Amino acid sequence: MSNPTTELRAAPEAGPEEKPAPLRRRLVARGDGAWPWLFILPTVFGITVFYLWPIIQTFYYSFTKWGVFGGAKFIGLDNYVRLFSDSSIPQSLLNTIIYTLIVLMGIPIAVVLSALMESPGLKFAGFYRTLYFIPYITMPAAVGIVWRLVFNGDFGPINWFLSLLGIEGPYWTSTPGFALAAVATVGLWMSLGFNLIIIGAGLREIPQEIYEAAEMDGASRLRQFFSITVPLLTPSIFFVSVVTVISGFQLFDLLYVMMGKANLAMPQTQSLVYIFYNHAFLENDKGYAAAVGILILLIIAALTAVQFRVQRKWVNYV
Amino acid sequence: MTHLTRRSILSLAALGAATATLAACSGGAATGGAAAAAYTAPAKDISATLTYAIWDAAQKPAMQKIVDLFNVQYPNIKVNIDVTPSKGSAYWTKIQTLASSDSLPDVFWMNGPKIKLYAENNQLLPLDGLAEAKAVDTSNYPKALVDLYTVGGKLYGVPKDFDTIALFYNKALLREAGVTEPTAAWTWDDLKTSGDKISKFYAGKGVYGFSGDLTGGQTSYYNTILGAGGSIISADGKKSGFDEAGSIAGLQFWRDIIDSGVSPNMQQLTDTLATDMFTSRKLALLMDASYIVGPTHAALGDDMGVVALPKGPTSNQGVIHGLANVIPANAKNPDAARAFVAFLGTKVAAEVQAETATVIPAFNDTQQAWVDAVPGAGLQVFLDAARTASPYPISKNTGAWNSLEGQLLPQAFAGTKPAADIAKDLATKMNEALSQEA
Amino acid sequence: MSDSAIRAGRRVKRGRNAIAHVVLGGGGLLMIAPLIYQVIMSISTNAEVQSIPPTFWPSEVQWHNFADVFTVMNFGSSLRVSVLITMLRVVGQVILCSLAGYAFARMRFRGRGAILAVILSILMVPGQLFLIPQFQIVQNLGWLNTIAGIVAPGLFSAFGVFLMRQFFMGLPDELEDAARLDGANPFQIFSKIMMPLAANGLWALAIITVLWSWNDLLWPLVIASTQDAAPLSVGLANLQGEHANNYPILMAASLMAMAPILILFIAMQKKVMAGIGRSGLK
Repeated sequence: MSNPTTELRAAPEAGPEEKPAPLRRRLVARGDGAWPWLFILPTVFGITVFYLWPIIQTFYYSFTKWGVFGGAKFIGLDNYVRLFSDSSIPQSLLNTIIYTLIVLMGIPIAVVLSALMESPGLKFAGFYRTLYFIPYITMPAAVGIVWRLVFNGDFGPINWFLSLLGIEGPYWTSTPGFALAAVATVGLWMSLGFNLIIIGAGLREIPQEIYEAAEMDGASRLRQFFSITVPLLTPSIFFVSVVTVISGFQLFDLLYVMMGKANLAMPQTQSLVYIFYNHAFLENDKGYAAAVGILILLIIAALTAVQFRVQRKWVNYV
Repeated sequence: MTHLTRRSILSLAALGAATATLAACSGGAATGGAAAAAYTAPAKDISATLTYAIWDAAQKPAMQKIVDLFNVQYPNIKVNIDVTPSKGSAYWTKIQTLASSDSLPDVFWMNGPKIKLYAENNQLLPLDGLAEAKAVDTSNYPKALVDLYTVGGKLYGVPKDFDTIALFYNKALLREAGVTEPTAAWTWDDLKTSGDKISKFYAGKGVYGFSGDLTGGQTSYYNTILGAGGSIISADGKKSGFDEAGSIAGLQFWRDIIDSGVSPNMQQLTDTLATDMFTSRKLALLMDASYIVGPTHAALGDDMGVVALPKGPTSNQGVIHGLANVIPANAKNPDAARAFVAFLGTKVAAEVQAETATVIPAFNDTQQAWVDAVPGAGLQVFLDAARTASPYPISKNTGAWNSLEGQLLPQAFAGTKPAADIAKDLATKMNEALSQEA
Repeated sequence: MSDSAIRAGRRVKRGRNAIAHVVLGGGGLLMIAPLIYQVIMSISTNAEVQSIPPTFWPSEVQWHNFADVFTVMNFGSSLRVSVLITMLRVVGQVILCSLAGYAFARMRFRGRGAILAVILSILMVPGQLFLIPQFQIVQNLGWLNTIAGIVAPGLFSAFGVFLMRQFFMGLPDELEDAARLDGANPFQIFSKIMMPLAANGLWALAIITVLWSWNDLLWPLVIASTQDAAPLSVGLANLQGEHANNYPILMAASLMAMAPILILFIAMQKKVMAGIGRSGLK
């Protein structure tokens, strides 16, 4: 089978380095004429109208004082200058990073669980997969309310359980520090099923002969896990981590449903997108919100680019 | 006695409203939007389809009943009621998006914090024509509400209902703790002493003496600020009042009751709203608004009692707020929409609302039915409160500083920082936000 | 389950699998614990939900909460809208994204890399940012309160294009070249040869689109201002009370809204696993 990860590496700069030169020459010579344009036309049209145009508009509005109901006054870089003096921005960037790091912890968990799930001859493997996948298909709004109750300091099951152990649990969603951990736990919970499936599929692609050879050499199962499974899984791990970082930086719904308004812990919990929403829809300051939106775009783009660069150092291509 | 007093107050209100109407007339003439402003009731066979956007699903049946009554007069005006919850700001996110593309619903609910934003940005149709044509008589509504929806001398909304603040109590919890029921003569000290007794009595059982919903000001700290002689915003809406001594005292009140254990702490109040604690019998005394009477009575039955707010250092004044029905400036069907808004403002429509006991109708003299819907609970105090209540504090972009309150005040209530420091910080930032409004 | 067959050659000790069962079973219980809690709440009274200490089983099972859902929301009509918009979005995305994904993966044309990079950048923008501009476009098209309006932006997906591109890149060249020699045109190659080979990828895209579309809230909330155009997600949001929550009804309604997806998922589990699993490999 072809090497899938090479293509993933090439994704953002999907250009020259992608195919070996002779093949490329052949393709060019072959010439697809107008066909590719026919293929991409509907999508390019739709994406331009519904997605690209709004981004371009937002970019323009980030240089304006944008009236609540339309009408924009050009104010140059003012919004961006304000961005740098706004103390809530670095704090929420930090919050977003911590959230993303916690959710990223779901990846090693998924690797271990997948390895167990793919154990040869394991019964009920399909049942387990379903069990772990269910959170991924729940409605975020409803699940947020359930978790809010689960974490409730007074009548929530978590603190009830802790009280049985003689521990007095904190007010999870309203204590700085704990709130972010609680929200990230839910984020991890929701994404684990997706991670498991992708990593599980990666596991199934690892040729069985490698394990057999290792077993002949007397390698323990733990040793096999670290020297065969993990290295050969790096392409899947990489894919999942890119997806996790992008969605981690878009944290909003969970915060909104779980935290409520006027929460003491909000400064230490709110995400960049939350700040964006606040300015755009609650404080009616859309020009500034647009600048925050552009900042988010730039940060995610930079992080993704870095991930693609760094992956060469740790992702193994067979 | 109450009736007499109420009537005299009403005539006073009528006078005030009349002056407002006069001012509105001259204002309307000056800007000369006469074509849209003048109103004559449309012919009975006018046909139109209107969308009526509201946010409280609990009130939909009452609104539907009013629509049915309206259709007796105008059988060919079809009104579709569209409910979007205001929880999670869904309603206002939606209305703002609709406004940004000139497609607001034909008639929709408006509240105090948003009225200036929409009126001053020319999103709303002035309704003075309705008053001039005597289709709506502003003297029928409490003056504070008419004032709230009069922006720049023009009337933009016809008051629908109002809510005032009082002290709720759970008779059973008080009885068990051996604490006498609160009276109208109570002061803040009485409240604190009794609250303390109750908290101590129920210590370890998760039941507290007294609290309020601190995630917003309307039902809690706005009232204590007024009670201590402070203010939230200056009369001209240009300057924050949070740094006044009275305002700081009004905020400190909440810090004190949390600190002394009378109230659950700030975290508990964020996890479980005070209102929910009260309905689940975890709170004996609660400062809250008239609109929770329905669900609270459903949960507590005859254990629910209500009394006027306790007196602070200066007064026991609370805030009054109410909704209004408004029409967008570019109404597709201004005549049909205005005919409907006029009908929503009639006594008949108000009586329908009163019977369902959801909210207090704004139309004077129809409120008694609302009081009578829960006999023995003492709901009259909400009507009495309307007489002395201060209008809900607003400015053009109320959302900007409401958001600041939500960011800063929890720290004062939790005691992370002194209330005075937070109040000054809030005032500075709020003044900055206000200066951005122009 | 069936994958175990692949590994038949490997000798296993039973003890190892016992550990696996303990870890997977315990973890699985943690995973669905909140949902079990949700089920219990849905058959409790509102007072029981908020009681201290928590009651973990209602004194009397309140099955009527599920029946009550039909009186507080228009469940049938919302279900119909949800199914309709989800089907349209799935069909639209499967066709449009596979066409575009194929072109980006297997065809050469000027500006290919640049166009793809621009499409990918859309993935990095918070969705709330699109709300107002998209609304204005749909309004200009006169599609407010229509199924077309709810569905239109969701027919196009940057993620879908990326996903399908990754799939098509992993397919071998040989079949394509052979068909070309036989004189097939690019569309014939795409529809007759490549599409069947990308079945896993199409499943992945379809499932992800179903999940996203079913749970999509903000957009239909804004675009559908009449009740008969509101999908389940919106109907559910409308159940949240202004001043008091009826948690049991809310939980019952959300379980009912989730049920069709759960059933669909269990019925098609193998295809889902294979489909989504493959997406990570590319």
